Amino acid sequence: MTDPVSTESVTPEPGDDDVAEVPARRRTGLVVSVVVAVLAVGFVAVLATREPATDRRRDSPLIGKVAPPLAGRTLDGGSFDIDDQQSRWVVVNFFATWCVPCWVEHPELDAFDRAHRRTGDAVLVSVLFDDDPASAREFFADSGGTWPVVLDDDGLVASAFGIPKVPESYLVTPSGRVAVKFTGGVTRDGLDRAIDQLQRAAAEGETP
Amino acid sequence: MRRARPIAWLAMAAVLAVALAVGVADDGGPHTPEERARSLAETVACPACDGQSVAESDAAASRGIRTLIAERIEQGASDDAIRNELVATWGESILLTPGGSGVGGLVWVLPVAALVLALAGVGYVFWRWRGMAVVHASAADRELVDGALAREDGP
Repeated sequence: MTDPVSTESVTPEPGDDDVAEVPARRRTGLVVSVVVAVLAVGFVAVLATREPATDRRRDSPLIGKVAPPLAGRTLDGGSFDIDDQQSRWVVVNFFATWCVPCWVEHPELDAFDRAHRRTGDAVLVSVLFDDDPASAREFFADSGGTWPVVLDDDGLVASAFGIPKVPESYLVTPSGRVAVKFTGGVTRDGLDRAIDQLQRAAAEGETP
Repeated sequence: MRRARPIAWLAMAAVLAVALAVGVADDGGPHTPEERARSLAETVACPACDGQSVAESDAAASRGIRTLIAERIEQGASDDAIRNELVATWGESILLTPGGSGVGGLVWVLPVAALVLALAGVGYVFWRWRGMAVVHASAADRELVDGALAREDGP
């Protein structure tokens, strides 16, 4: 008797190509899925571990040095001089009304200012960067905030502090030295944390 | 012909000396405070942009630095003092021309060192060539050449 179905030599029929392609397609699909999954995991890992958009501390040649002079007319017609702020922490904030991250940090600065106005241990001053005083007045009227805003028409204050873009802020110690440079906006918590850290370091023997 | 050589060398040395003297006497440097400010701004990098000097850029930070340079010149500060002030605020990266000390100083030292080494190498090669023994044709060589010439002239 002859076996009706021979297993030794099966001549592939034209339709059998589809059958052979199925595992190959599955393999390709699997490879693509794995690559996409690895990329997705990597993307999530980068987002989860990257530096936050605010309170970024940056190195600066000014850190540890006496703060550059900061004196001038303010937005409300008064005047401000950083030398009058001895024995208090000073946050020097550079901002512009055309800068979106500056809008984002504004409520945080307002909260910091309100809290430290009560305690009297820190003062906030902003410097208008490449902007029109009228726009700044309107911005403060709309967003709130009563801290001094120094006008810097010729950009000399920003140059002395080494400000390429806004927002950027410096924390100056009660002894008048630059302690921290923040780029990309600040938060009230970030500023308070920096002051706490420096005060703890001072208590442990390092002068802030 | 041999006497012409020292004269040629002397002439070259004279040309070099005159060129150097002219270069040192008038380096084409800035003459007015505005020219000085412009010249200094050309050596300072715009901190808010890529590949532009403060002189070329219209960024607010560059305008501020230009104002600061002009103000310092008016106050009588030297170029070095202004550059040092900018470096103290912005760091070394603010200068488009590297400083004369540290790793940046290599930019100035290496070409000079390469020139000195190249001149020393050329001098050494010339010295070796001069020291090589001059080969004189022997009597046998002359006979060989005479024979070859005679064959060429022959019928």
